[in-house]
Amino acid sequence: MTTTTPPTPSALTTLITSITTPTPPETQQKSSQSQQHPALTHQVLHNLQHQHLWTSLQIHQLQAPSSTSSNDTTADPNPITLISGIPPHRLYTHPDEQLYLLERGLREEDLELERMFVLPTVQGQTWSLRRLAGVFDGFPLQEEFFLNKHSGSKTDKLREYYRYREKARATREWGGKRLLLAMVDRQMGGDSTVVYYVVQDGAVKPRQN
Amino acid sequence: MESDPILLPIPISYIAGSYFLFSIDAVTYLRREHHICGVLSGTLPQIPQQNVFLGLPLKLMPEEARLLVEKGVACIVDEVNAQRAGMRALAADDRRKYLRELEAQGAHAMRLQTSRKELQREEALRKVQAKKAAAAAKKAGADAAPDAAGATAGSDEPAATENPSRRASTTTTNSEIHAPYGTTMGITPATSHPPLPYSPATSTTLPPPAVPPSYPLFAHLHADGYYLSPGLRFGCQYLAYPGDPLRFHSHFLVVAADWDEELDLMALVAGGRLGTGVKKGFLIGGAEHTRADDAGIMGEPESVRTFSVEWAGM
Repeated sequence: MTTTTPPTPSALTTLITSITTPTPPETQQKSSQSQQHPALTHQVLHNLQHQHLWTSLQIHQLQAPSSTSSNDTTADPNPITLISGIPPHRLYTHPDEQLYLLERGLREEDLELERMFVLPTVQGQTWSLRRLAGVFDGFPLQEEFFLNKHSGSKTDKLREYYRYREKARATREWGGKRLLLAMVDRQMGGDSTVVYYVVQDGAVKPRQN
Repeated sequence: MESDPILLPIPISYIAGSYFLFSIDAVTYLRREHHICGVLSGTLPQIPQQNVFLGLPLKLMPEEARLLVEKGVACIVDEVNAQRAGMRALAADDRRKYLRELEAQGAHAMRLQTSRKELQREEALRKVQAKKAAAAAKKAGADAAPDAAGATAGSDEPAATENPSRRASTTTTNSEIHAPYGTTMGITPATSHPPLPYSPATSTTLPPPAVPPSYPLFAHLHADGYYLSPGLRFGCQYLAYPGDPLRFHSHFLVVAADWDEELDLMALVAGGRLGTGVKKGFLIGGAEHTRADDAGIMGEPESVRTFSVEWAGM
């Protein structure tokens, strides 16, 4: 008869427990801060970092979006946390933007990668339009990028593209703000699958995929 | 062919809880000018199972009817009462006159049909004759060397025989129409406003239709130039087309939600995945409530916020 020992926790479980379990009093300051980023955020961040190879990941805390509602004076028990990072390749191209690039012989690989915001959620959570609108109002529009990649003959065309993109952003011709909705599967067997959906502000026509 | 300008407001018939349009002019006008398509719902009275191609009347969603009323383009008529009152008010003379008119129209339609049949018959006869002539010419050509004069004579022959036959046939058609046993076609007009007045009496007009809470989103998208149709086929509330549905595929599967309605995220994911699967976007939206206490009031179309969801492919 052999004695059974519990399996050693996975790297992800170790990471999450190290973040969410109370830490000794001498690091209380750090603990209270990390308490605000619950396990969910770190699970999604971990998935982005190691499965999807995102880089320069950051965690952002949003101001309570429900401050506009008069009866809801109590602080939101679940403050909204966003993750931002740079994906290894372009995730979303508006169909009109794609046409613009095609007309000028530019490829998506020629463009600078953009920082994208990710909203971590878990299956079974309920959301409302008010909260979603709050999230969209709470993060900034993607910052502008400067041309610092030497791509030879395409430099002029790229410059033209970036200039036009500024205009398109202002008029929302190529869509407005967008973020990635990450949903973790914790019910249904809880296999920790994370699915990603692009959510955009306003009616943005679908891609021809 | 430019038809008569449409008289506004267009009467929308309210019958048994649904909104119908019976005039083809009104249907084309609303589709062309106001992006309102509705759904054709009429079948043949004798063959109601034939429902691949439907015809008049056009059934409107309550949202569509409401939008038209709010634009001042249409008004809602309690059709049952309007018909009853209208028929009661119709004088016996008018009724007889109307019946005579219908009969005249039926006779005209019959005349058109028989003359078309006559023409078809003549056409067929001429073809047979031409074939016979060609065969004869060939035979003649086989007997002797063919000459140009013979060929032209052959081709002239049917034309020469054609004229008397036509004259004969037209006389027979005329005699058919005036024949005592000649039947006139039964005419069933789609609209009832030659005998009844076009503009309904104020007693039979109804208030604007009651609409579901998704109306602000409907009006918002309609104002943005989208054509909206019922979304049952794709498991959503509305389908939003960027232009006329006959020319475009739809862009969005639209679902409306209340501003504070608790949404299961699974619905968002399911909608996003379904939309991406059929090359559309999933659009969820609703009117923004700036204050919590106006939750019961229907929002304005201008305050609607929408979000489009697509699968990220990762």
